[in-house]
Amino acid sequence: MLAARASTARSAQRIARSFATVVDTTGVKVAAVDYNQPTASVTVLVKAGSRFQPKDGAANALKNFAFKSTSSRSAIGTVRESELYGGVLSSTLGREHLALTAEFLKADAPYFVDILTSFVTSAKFTRHEFEEYVAPVVSAETEAASRDPATLAIDTAHGLAFRSGLGSSLFAPAHHDLTVDDVKSFASSIFTKSNIAVLGTGIDQATLSSLVEKAFAKASESSAVSTPASKYFGGETRLGGTGGPQTVFIGFGTTGSPSAEHAALAAHLSPTPSIKWSKGLSPLSSLPEGISVQPVYLPYTDASLFGLLVQGPTTASVKEASKAAIAALKAASQGIKAEELKSAVAKAKFAAASSVETREGLVNALGSKIFSGVNTSLVATLSSLDAVDASAFSKATANLLAAKPTYVVIGDVHLPYVDELGL
Amino acid sequence: MFGPLSLSLAPYVKSSRSLSKWVTPFAKWYANAMGYRKYGFKYDDLITEENDQMQRALGRLTQREQYDRAWRMKRASHASVLHAPLPKEQWTPESEDTRYLEPHVEDILREEKERKAWDTLVVEKK
Repeated sequence: MLAARASTARSAQRIARSFATVVDTTGVKVAAVDYNQPTASVTVLVKAGSRFQPKDGAANALKNFAFKSTSSRSAIGTVRESELYGGVLSSTLGREHLALTAEFLKADAPYFVDILTSFVTSAKFTRHEFEEYVAPVVSAETEAASRDPATLAIDTAHGLAFRSGLGSSLFAPAHHDLTVDDVKSFASSIFTKSNIAVLGTGIDQATLSSLVEKAFAKASESSAVSTPASKYFGGETRLGGTGGPQTVFIGFGTTGSPSAEHAALAAHLSPTPSIKWSKGLSPLSSLPEGISVQPVYLPYTDASLFGLLVQGPTTASVKEASKAAIAALKAASQGIKAEELKSAVAKAKFAAASSVETREGLVNALGSKIFSGVNTSLVATLSSLDAVDASAFSKATANLLAAKPTYVVIGDVHLPYVDELGL
Repeated sequence: MFGPLSLSLAPYVKSSRSLSKWVTPFAKWYANAMGYRKYGFKYDDLITEENDQMQRALGRLTQREQYDRAWRMKRASHASVLHAPLPKEQWTPESEDTRYLEPHVEDILREEKERKAWDTLVVEKK
């Protein structure tokens, strides 16, 4: 009997370990995974990414408003009390979601869930906090992004590729005219039950559900925000350099839900070696030292952007590398050897599986799926990657190349134009 | 000891209907007798501003309020140079003599008190 009980306990644990199950708690979606980690984390995921913002920079300002004063405690009270408990609070913004995260010791869950939920339900959004604390950080983030060619290139590429919606920048304009009322009205429009999901790690589903249920009892219950479906446009733009490396971003967008072929393509082209001191087996591994070519694959709910980010010290070398990168893409669209596809799929599967081991990876993986209610399991992602075959792979690559490219150049005037690269 | 931020019996007086009925005419007379309204000031313009708390409170005014405050100061200084109150139509009417600054000052004092409380907190193990 003892043995039987032990085995049921073990199988129960195995079920808990398999993946998060999403439960609807009074209108708020709650998912939790417990791997028996020593610490726990809770993320409140809100559909408040930059694609939903009514005014440029409103989402960024809302992100930086996180953990300021609420009706239950002041900003300094939040910080000092969290320090006493030894927790870490953070907020991150994506194009689709705003994530408010608390990491803490397991016993302190009620306190930290209250911090997260009280911001959602009863933030004060005072004018002086906006002017004294939030606005300087919003400007600093814009400034930092404008100094980083890679961030700037990808942000600009989204604008070219999708124009509105997904195209809106993650950062506020350099000379924005945001006021606290803009942030307040944005917050009141999106902080509703149907826009919120709560993800927990290292915490029991039932515990989290009961805490969330209590906290969101008073939250308003209006319909979920929606934007028109994304459309892909593409285009070319050239920006002056800011002292960083010469940067070229060659992107291709697709609409519709993200496909496994593109993840495999990113893994196929990725020059990151699997072993130290090796240059890797990617078609882009043979480029000279000092030049980096990184495949960028950014899937969203209804569109995705695939691209190659080329960075190097001189314009001539960047031009050569861009040509090589496009040649590699074109070769992949002609066909791929079976063993190359096999290793690319294996690499993509490992990347997908290992990313859900980290907290940020788990939130990213669950984020897009939890609102749509589709299968949230890792097994589904892995089996869709397994189903990729050579003809589908090259067809997907050819389809990417057929669309108008999104081309962003940041640096000197001598950097190539898109027609010089044979696109 | 005296002035806009000092101890006040006003909340107690306001809470009692009969008391406020008796005191209000006297209070109105006193506010006019102080004479600041003759120079176009509001009561909150009289708070000493040469300290950190007031400087922060002034920073929390809207652009419009800051401009109006500077304007009142300038107009009153000019009247002072002329050794005469403003013409009667420029006196502050009672309806405009609002406490536009006091809530901000009180917020800041409360924040300072809270910060001090957190700084000197003694943590005990449960």
